[in-house]
Amino acid sequence: MNRALFLSTAVAFGFLVVIVRLGNLMLLDHERLWAKAQSQYQREKQIDVKRGVIYDRRGRELAVNLDEESLYCDPTEVASPRTAALEISSVTGMKYSDVLEKVSQSGGKKHFVWLKRKLGDDEVLKLKNLAPGGFGFVNETRRYYPNGSLASHVLGFVNVDNKAEGGVERMYESTLTNKGGKVVLERDATGKVLSQGLELESKGNNLVLTIDEGLQYIAETALDEAMRKWRADSASVIMMDPFTGDILAMANRPGYDPNDPGKTGPEGRKNRAIMDLYEPGSTFKIVAGTSAIETGAVSLGSMFDCSKGYIEAGGRKYHDVHKLGVIPFEEIFQKSSNVGAIQVAMRVGAGKYYAYAKKFGFGQKTGIDLPWEAAGRLPDLKRFNGASLPSMAIGYGVAVTPLQILRAYSAVANGGYLVTPHVVAQILSPDGEVISSFHGTRTRILKPETAATFKRIFSLVTEDGGTAKQAAISGNHVSGKTGTSRLFDPRTGRYSGLYSSSFVGFVPEHNPRIAMIVVFKGAKGEVYGGVVAGPVFSEIAEKAFAYMNVPRDDAFKNNLVYLGDENQNGVKGAPQWSRN
Amino acid sequence: MQIDRRTIQNFDWLALGLVLALSIIGVLTIFSATRPAEGEHQAPYYIKQLVWLAVGLIAMVLVIKVDYQWFARLSWLLYGIGLLFLLFVLAKGRIGMGAQRWVSVGGISFQPSEIFRITFIIMIARYLSTEKTPIDIKAFLKMLPLLGLLPFGLLVKQPDLGTATTISAVFLFICLAKGMSKRLVVALIAFAVISMPFLWDIVWDGFLKDYQRNRIVAFMDPTVDPAGIGYHINQSKIAIGSGMILGKGYMHGTQGPFRFLPEKHTDFIFSSFAEEWGLLGSLVLLGIYLAFFLRALDTARKAKDEFGSLLALAITFMFAFYFFFNIGMTMGMLPVVGIPLPFMSYGGTAILSNYIAVGLLINVRLRRFELFY
Repeated sequence: MNRALFLSTAVAFGFLVVIVRLGNLMLLDHERLWAKAQSQYQREKQIDVKRGVIYDRRGRELAVNLDEESLYCDPTEVASPRTAALEISSVTGMKYSDVLEKVSQSGGKKHFVWLKRKLGDDEVLKLKNLAPGGFGFVNETRRYYPNGSLASHVLGFVNVDNKAEGGVERMYESTLTNKGGKVVLERDATGKVLSQGLELESKGNNLVLTIDEGLQYIAETALDEAMRKWRADSASVIMMDPFTGDILAMANRPGYDPNDPGKTGPEGRKNRAIMDLYEPGSTFKIVAGTSAIETGAVSLGSMFDCSKGYIEAGGRKYHDVHKLGVIPFEEIFQKSSNVGAIQVAMRVGAGKYYAYAKKFGFGQKTGIDLPWEAAGRLPDLKRFNGASLPSMAIGYGVAVTPLQILRAYSAVANGGYLVTPHVVAQILSPDGEVISSFHGTRTRILKPETAATFKRIFSLVTEDGGTAKQAAISGNHVSGKTGTSRLFDPRTGRYSGLYSSSFVGFVPEHNPRIAMIVVFKGAKGEVYGGVVAGPVFSEIAEKAFAYMNVPRDDAFKNNLVYLGDENQNGVKGAPQWSRN
Repeated sequence: MQIDRRTIQNFDWLALGLVLALSIIGVLTIFSATRPAEGEHQAPYYIKQLVWLAVGLIAMVLVIKVDYQWFARLSWLLYGIGLLFLLFVLAKGRIGMGAQRWVSVGGISFQPSEIFRITFIIMIARYLSTEKTPIDIKAFLKMLPLLGLLPFGLLVKQPDLGTATTISAVFLFICLAKGMSKRLVVALIAFAVISMPFLWDIVWDGFLKDYQRNRIVAFMDPTVDPAGIGYHINQSKIAIGSGMILGKGYMHGTQGPFRFLPEKHTDFIFSSFAEEWGLLGSLVLLGIYLAFFLRALDTARKAKDEFGSLLALAITFMFAFYFFFNIGMTMGMLPVVGIPLPFMSYGGTAILSNYIAVGLLINVRLRRFELFY
C-alpha cells in the first residue's frame, strides 16, 4: 500500500473520530451539558420584596407595608438561658418554658431560632435595653391594612412570611411581589457574583382596585346595622358598575380583620359574595321573563290566571303568597307570582329556557379576578324531569352565587350585555406608571328592547303594589327584584326553617349608575326579601348617590335644578344638570 | 539565499496561510476566554501571544533562509544543546503547576522542552536517513539509549509527561515510517506485552506524581470526584457541549471567563472555542487542521531526499499527535496530559518551536527541486 495514501487515510480517520465525538457532545449531550453550565454560573437568589401597595379607585391606600423587627436567637451564644428566657418572657408575654426551650441548645447545634416575629415598638425598645447576649433583631416587612376589616374579603391577607392567603393579595401574588422576588445572579467559579449593580431589594407592582373606599364603607356600615337588626347568619352586598363590571363595593358578614386573621375562624374569611351557593328564589324569574319576551312566547300585556293561588306542574304544587287573580305579564314580576312565572316558563319550553339560563352565565364562573370563585350549578338539560322547569322558573333547583345574580340584572341595566366583573382596575409599576389597565369583554345576551322592557317591569317592584317598596330611594327610581327562598341544609339533606332574603336591582332606572345585590341568610323575625334586604339596598343606594353626587331624577320637577343664566345674559355652555 | 521570483513561486503560501489562520483564531479565542470579570482589567495574554507570534514568524523566516541540509549537518550539535537545555531545567528550573519545566532568561519564562523537541526531530530524521532500510534489532538497540531513553528519562524527571509521550511516539513512528525488520516488530510487540505490567508499575509508582495519577484515574471515570480530579474533563465537556450547533457567540462564552474551565486559554482552548462557535465553527477549525496535515504529508512525499522526507513526516506526526491528543483530551477521550493545541494554545515557547517546525516544513518543500551542491 502506498505510504502517503495510508498516512492520509489515517489522518482522515482520526478526524472522523473527532467529529463523531464532537457531534455527540454538542448535539446529543447538549441539553444536559448546557443545563450543567447554567447551574454552575447562575444562582437564583431570594430577594426581599416589598409587596406592592393596594389602592382603591381614588388612590386611597387599602394595603401598605410596615417595617417591623423580629427577634431571633443564636442558642450557642446564650450565656445563661434561664435568665434570658425570664427576661424575654416578661417583655413579650411568651411562656417562660417555650422561650427556655428555644434558647437552650437542645441537642442540635442550631445557630438561628426565631423567638418572636414582628414585635411591637415598645417590645423592641424594652428588649434592646435588656440586650441579652446571643439575641438579635431582623428587619422584616409587615403587611398592614389601615382600614382594618374594611373590604377584607376583596383584599385578602398575608401570613407571617408575607405569602398571600386570599383575595387580590393571592390572585395577584406574582404582580404584587414581582415574580416571587427571585433574581438570577451570574457568578464565577470562586463564587463571586458578577452581576453588579443589581438591586437586591425590590418592590412589587401596585394595584388600583375598582373598589371605592367610601362606597365600601357605606355598604359595610349598612350591613352591620342590618345584621344587628335581623340577627342573620350571614349576609353579602355587592355593588357594581353595571356597564363596566367594576366592583365598587363587596362585603360579607361575618367578616374578619386582615391585620389579625387568626382571631376569627374560617367562616369569617369566606368571601360569600362569590363562594356561597344558594337557591336564589324569585330573583331567578328574570330568566323566565326575558326568555319569554325574547322568544315571543309571551307578549307584553298577556294575561295569566293566578286566581287559584297555586299551580300543579310535574307532580308538584306551587303556591303564591296571596291569590292574585288574573294578572298581566308585568305584574307577575311586580308581585312575584310563582304561579305566573311557572306558566311563563312552560310557554317558553325547557330547551329555550335552559339556553337563556346558560346565556346569563349561570353554572359558570363569572371570571372575577378573585380566588376560589364558585361556578354554581345548573342541572343538565338532558336530565330534566317534569319538576325541573317549574322549579327553576321560581329559582329552585339551581345553585348560584350572589355575583351571578347581580350580573344577570346588570345585563338588563346596561341594555343587554353580560359583563365581566372585576376588582382590579390597573396595575402600576413601583414608580407609579400604568403597566396595564383592565379592559373587560362583554357579550350581548338580550336585545336592547328586551332590556328596556324589563327595566320598566322591574321598576314596578319598588312602586305601589310591588314587593319591595322598601328598596325605593328618594329622588331616583330603583328597578329590581326581590328573592325569598328556603335554605337547603346539606347536613340534613332537607330544607331548614331558614330563608335567604335578597334584593337585587339597579338605580337610577333609566341611566343606572350602580347595580347592587343584598343577600341575607337566616334572618330572624322577617324573611321576605323586600322587607329584609330592600331597606338595606335603599339605605346604601341613597348614601352612595349622595357620595357620588348623582343627580335626582325628580330634580327638574321639584325645581332643584340650576339651568344657568342663559335666559338672562345668553351665556352658552352654562351648566345644565337636568336630564330629559 | 536570494529571494527571487522562483522562491516566491515555490514558497508554501498555503501551509503558512493555514497556520497563520489558526494562530489568529487562537489569539481571538485567548482574548475572549480571558475576558476579565467586571472591575478587572483584561489580562495581557493575547498581546503576549501576538508578540510571540511575531517572534515565531521571524524565527520561521530565518529557518527557511538556510537550506535544511545545513540542519542535517549540525544535527548532533543541536541535539547536544537540546539535551543541555533539559539538564539545565532540572538544575535550575522554576516549579510551576507541580512540575519543574520552566527557566527564566532575562525575565522571560522559557520552556526548554519545547525547543528540545525540534532538535530531537532533526536529530532522529538525520540519524535514520543514514541508516539502511529496514531497521533491524541491532540498529534499533544502538539508537535507543541516546535517542530514546535518555531524553525520555530527562523529560519524565521534570516531569513533562506531554513532551515525553510525544517524543516517544515520534521515535516509534519515525522508525515505523523508515521501515522495521519483521523480527524487530515481533521483538518490540513481545517486549511490550511482557513488560507492560512491570512498566506500568514502574511508571505509576516511580515516575508519576500524584496529580498525574489522579488525572489518569479521572480519565477512566470522571464521576469519581467531579469537583476534584475529574474537574478538568467535566468542565471541558460542559463547555463544548453547551455550544451546540451555532455556539454561544464570540465573546459570549461563560465557562472560561467565569473560571469554571481550567486552562481555558492554554490546554483547553479548544473547549473555549467550541463553546462560542458551536459545531459549525468547530468543523471549520478542524477543516483547517486537516488541510494543513494533508499539505504537510504532501511535502514529505515530494521531498527530494530521505532526510527531508523523514523530517517532514516527523514534524507532521508531531503536530498531528499534539492535535489529536489535545482534542481527545478536551472531549474526554484521552487522559489530561499537558499537551497544548498547536498554533492556538497560549504559550510563547510553543509558538516559537511550532513556527520553527513550520519553517522546516516549508524549507523542505521550497527546496524540493534544488540539486545537491
